[in-house]
Amino acid sequence: MQINRDINILVVDDFSTMRRIVKNLLKELGFSKFDEADDGATAWPMVKTGKYDFIVSDWNMPQMTGIDLLRHVRADEKLKDTPFLLITAEAKRSQILEAAQAGVDGYIVKPFTAATLNEKIQKIFERVAERQKAQS
Amino acid sequence: MKQIDKQIVLTLLDAVEQEDQGRVADLLDELTRIRETQIYQQLEALTKNLHETLDDLEVDAPILLHAKHDLPDIAERLQYVIHETQAASGKTLQAAENLSELLEELTLADDVSLEAAKQLKQQMNSELTNIMLAQSFQDLTGQVLNRVILIVTALEESLKNLIERSKHDFEKIPERRYSEEEQKAQESKGMGPNVTRDSKQGALDSQEDIDDLLSDLGI
Repeated sequence: MQINRDINILVVDDFSTMRRIVKNLLKELGFSKFDEADDGATAWPMVKTGKYDFIVSDWNMPQMTGIDLLRHVRADEKLKDTPFLLITAEAKRSQILEAAQAGVDGYIVKPFTAATLNEKIQKIFERVAERQKAQS
Repeated sequence: MKQIDKQIVLTLLDAVEQEDQGRVADLLDELTRIRETQIYQQLEALTKNLHETLDDLEVDAPILLHAKHDLPDIAERLQYVIHETQAASGKTLQAAENLSELLEELTLADDVSLEAAKQLKQQMNSELTNIMLAQSFQDLTGQVLNRVILIVTALEESLKNLIERSKHDFEKIPERRYSEEEQKAQESKGMGPNVTRDSKQGALDSQEDIDDLLSDLGI
């Protein structure tokens, strides 16, 4: 499936190194429009503008966690369908279930590879396309 | 020390039966007083014990030296590790990004002269060298972390020692238990990588395991 690479992506992580790695990998996959946020709390006002087509977020951040950011997004009528990918070191079974319950579209555990990221993005956008097809 | 005995309880019961509220209040006050005295006496004994234990320590006892010299050091050493690892990954990422740009240059050029190719190769080599050199952080942070491990282990030993000298049985200190809600709240907040044996419990080992679990849930 051909993915639209001309989309706005928000990368949220409290470590700048990680944001840079994710951005570089996304660039390699052909994406080019990114913004960054260093916490869920800084990300949320940005997300609310409605600019982003895809959110990639860490879980463990000081002010607002990624899972809380996800819940905020899902609870907002206008934003609730935004694809959301968690990239995190959290790997407890109960946490993955919690993320699934909150409505995550993909879950990648750190450290990860470019291939994993590619695979998850592919899968997420396939599902988005299916969802849109079903709705239309 | 006055103890709570059967007699005083029976007298209280008697007063309750006779609905003598004044006497009931007096007796309850007395019971509380006895109980408070007992608690104070126990506290006093504990404090005395702690004082004696601390007095027993020589001024150059390991625990005192750790507290004065090593503990403030640990935070500084760990800060150094954070700083160095961050700087190293910054340098490595910069070099990788530069390399990627150089490669792009090479791909976009229609016709690259031998001279230009040589120059590009030299630039790329220098970026690769930067990546290699940036890894030298591992030697330095490794040494610092080894030192921190030594200090923490020694400190643990000294603390155990102190606990035992104050007549507590270290082995009898109970396991730390979290209620289900506390555990859930911690997990929700995020706990970082599961590196200890304890924290690995309930953690999935690999991306494949996570994918399987999510796929079972239809994600």
